[in-house]
Amino acid sequence: MWSTIKALIIKELRQSLRDPMMIRLIFVMPIIQLFVLGYAINTDVKDIYTVVYDFDRSEMSREYVRSLSAGNYFNIRPVEFPVLNIDHGFRENDYTAALIIPNDFSNDMNRKKQPVVGLMVDGSNANSAAIALGYAGLITGQFNQRATGLSSPLILRQKKLYNPEAESVYFMIPGLITIMLTMITILLTSMAIVREREIGTLEQLMVTPIKKHELLLGKTIPFAIIGFMEMTVGLIIGLLWFKIPFVGSPILFYILAFIFQITALGIGIFISTISKTQQQAMFYGWFFTIFGIMTSGLFTPIENMPILIQRLTYLNPLRYFIKIIRAIMMKGATLQNLYPETAALIIFGLVIFSFAWMRFSKRVE
Amino acid sequence: MNLVEVTNLSKSYGVMKAVDDFNLTAIKGEILALVGPDGAGKTSIFRAICGLITLDSGEIKVSGFNVATEFDRIKPHLGYMPQSFSLYPDLSVEENLYFYAGLFGLNRAQFQEKKKRLYEFSGLGQFYDRRAGALSGGMKQKLALSCALIHDPQVLMLDEPTTGVDPLSRRQFWDILKDLRRGGSGIVVSTPYMDEVALSDRAIFIFGGRKLAEGTPAELAGIFRGKAYRVAVDPTFNCMEQLCRIDGLQARRFGSTVHIYTKENDALENYYPALAEIGIKPEIITPIQPELEDTFIQLMGK
Repeated sequence: MWSTIKALIIKELRQSLRDPMMIRLIFVMPIIQLFVLGYAINTDVKDIYTVVYDFDRSEMSREYVRSLSAGNYFNIRPVEFPVLNIDHGFRENDYTAALIIPNDFSNDMNRKKQPVVGLMVDGSNANSAAIALGYAGLITGQFNQRATGLSSPLILRQKKLYNPEAESVYFMIPGLITIMLTMITILLTSMAIVREREIGTLEQLMVTPIKKHELLLGKTIPFAIIGFMEMTVGLIIGLLWFKIPFVGSPILFYILAFIFQITALGIGIFISTISKTQQQAMFYGWFFTIFGIMTSGLFTPIENMPILIQRLTYLNPLRYFIKIIRAIMMKGATLQNLYPETAALIIFGLVIFSFAWMRFSKRVE
Repeated sequence: MNLVEVTNLSKSYGVMKAVDDFNLTAIKGEILALVGPDGAGKTSIFRAICGLITLDSGEIKVSGFNVATEFDRIKPHLGYMPQSFSLYPDLSVEENLYFYAGLFGLNRAQFQEKKKRLYEFSGLGQFYDRRAGALSGGMKQKLALSCALIHDPQVLMLDEPTTGVDPLSRRQFWDILKDLRRGGSGIVVSTPYMDEVALSDRAIFIFGGRKLAEGTPAELAGIFRGKAYRVAVDPTFNCMEQLCRIDGLQARRFGSTVHIYTKENDALENYYPALAEIGIKPEIITPIQPELEDTFIQLMGK
């Protein structure tokens, strides 16, 4: 049995690692993906270009503007348009926020009347708009305290654990590594099986003494190995280049990654049973991966999704694995912390893989 | 012992009958050729013998084992070379061989020895590290044959191994088959080329899924009844149509001329008036020695 499987594994690895297109697909593309997405998908909001219409022109109003610009959050720019044409600058993307300070600002402040300032934010990017409003609210509160000497009865002190700078890179890279692992495993497995059918070698294999389970193992083990190689490349780049922390146990990480891979391999086999050509397999592979990513909580928090979709995400194995990989890398979570997620992955792996196995056996006959 | 025994095999694809009540026996040390045009049912018969399709009816035994129920026991005795080149184009000659050796459980020493012998007869040794996809048509076929031979099968099933291969390579390929037969293998080979019948030990004419005739090349040559003539006329569609309308005569386009066949105890002279009507004068008709192809065509018309 092992000689057969070994022959298949050697053959698959030779084929995969020889083809220059495969090399690009396996190693170069993910690295580019990691670098480009690692930098490009930046949910940190900094340097919000802001114009200020200060009708008060008092010491107090200037102080308020200074406090806004103190952090890196708001980048105060000179006014370019009269206040009536304020839209124009938004449309031209000259600024994303506009602050309007009425002329009775300092008077009201001094008389302890509640002054009102206006902040307009470009909502076409809902994400950064919300964050800008949040920052402004916080800064205004602090300013209030200093100016009036009054403190509100409740003071909320926020502290972010595990990723104190809220660096989105820390948060993105584990997700990107997950995508790489999923995509490469699904695509390579499905395409390798379909390729055999396409060039007619599957038929030839059926006339050799190879057993179905040997064929299946020989067709999955090589891609599990390649998937691990790729994940390791991603991890090394993440640790050395992006300097993301890795607090937890690498061994636990690899074991759970392996359990997750069983699901991905199962999906790959399943796709091979519904595809006639490698192109078809590739499209199905993309479909499954994209769908999985969008509902995994990687780019958008699951809590923000409609209730129905939120429930559906429980059926997405990626959701659990992304949670696991983030928890191990950034929080040093142990197996005890991850029982439910691990159990979910094992169930997914068993169900999907055996279903795919059955379909594959039938299809080969 | 009969290496391959096909009894009353039938197989349909929808309404199309691919194989119709077909019988075949292949024995040790013999090359059996299945001869027929494309679509005659040759490949279906091959795939049925190699356990790749289910049968509608009939029974197939290879090396004494039933294909339908004991196929796993047949595999070690069976070498199959499909019609289309189906090796890994991105693996080298040697890697392809090594892969199949692994599937049949050969160890390294066995593989080295086997490889040496296969390289000897195929002449592939000098191309051992060339990718299979970059080989010439003839070389590809030799590699495919080598892979099918890696486990010394008793039965070798070769589905149109010489189709699309240049004449010299075809000749070489047949020389190899003859050597193998001397080694005691039973070889079943299909071909659309009539001239390969003469190279085989026994041949079966097949058309429309049915067996037209079976015998040694000499026997098959003697089947022709009646007389054959060559007509030096341009085989246009119109001309062929008019010829075929003449009752009692059989006509067939043959390259740039036409062959016509009369039935036994019939004389061509009886048809002179009908032929003259469509512009064919006796001067352009010459009697010929019927070839196997003429025989095949005559059988097809029955």
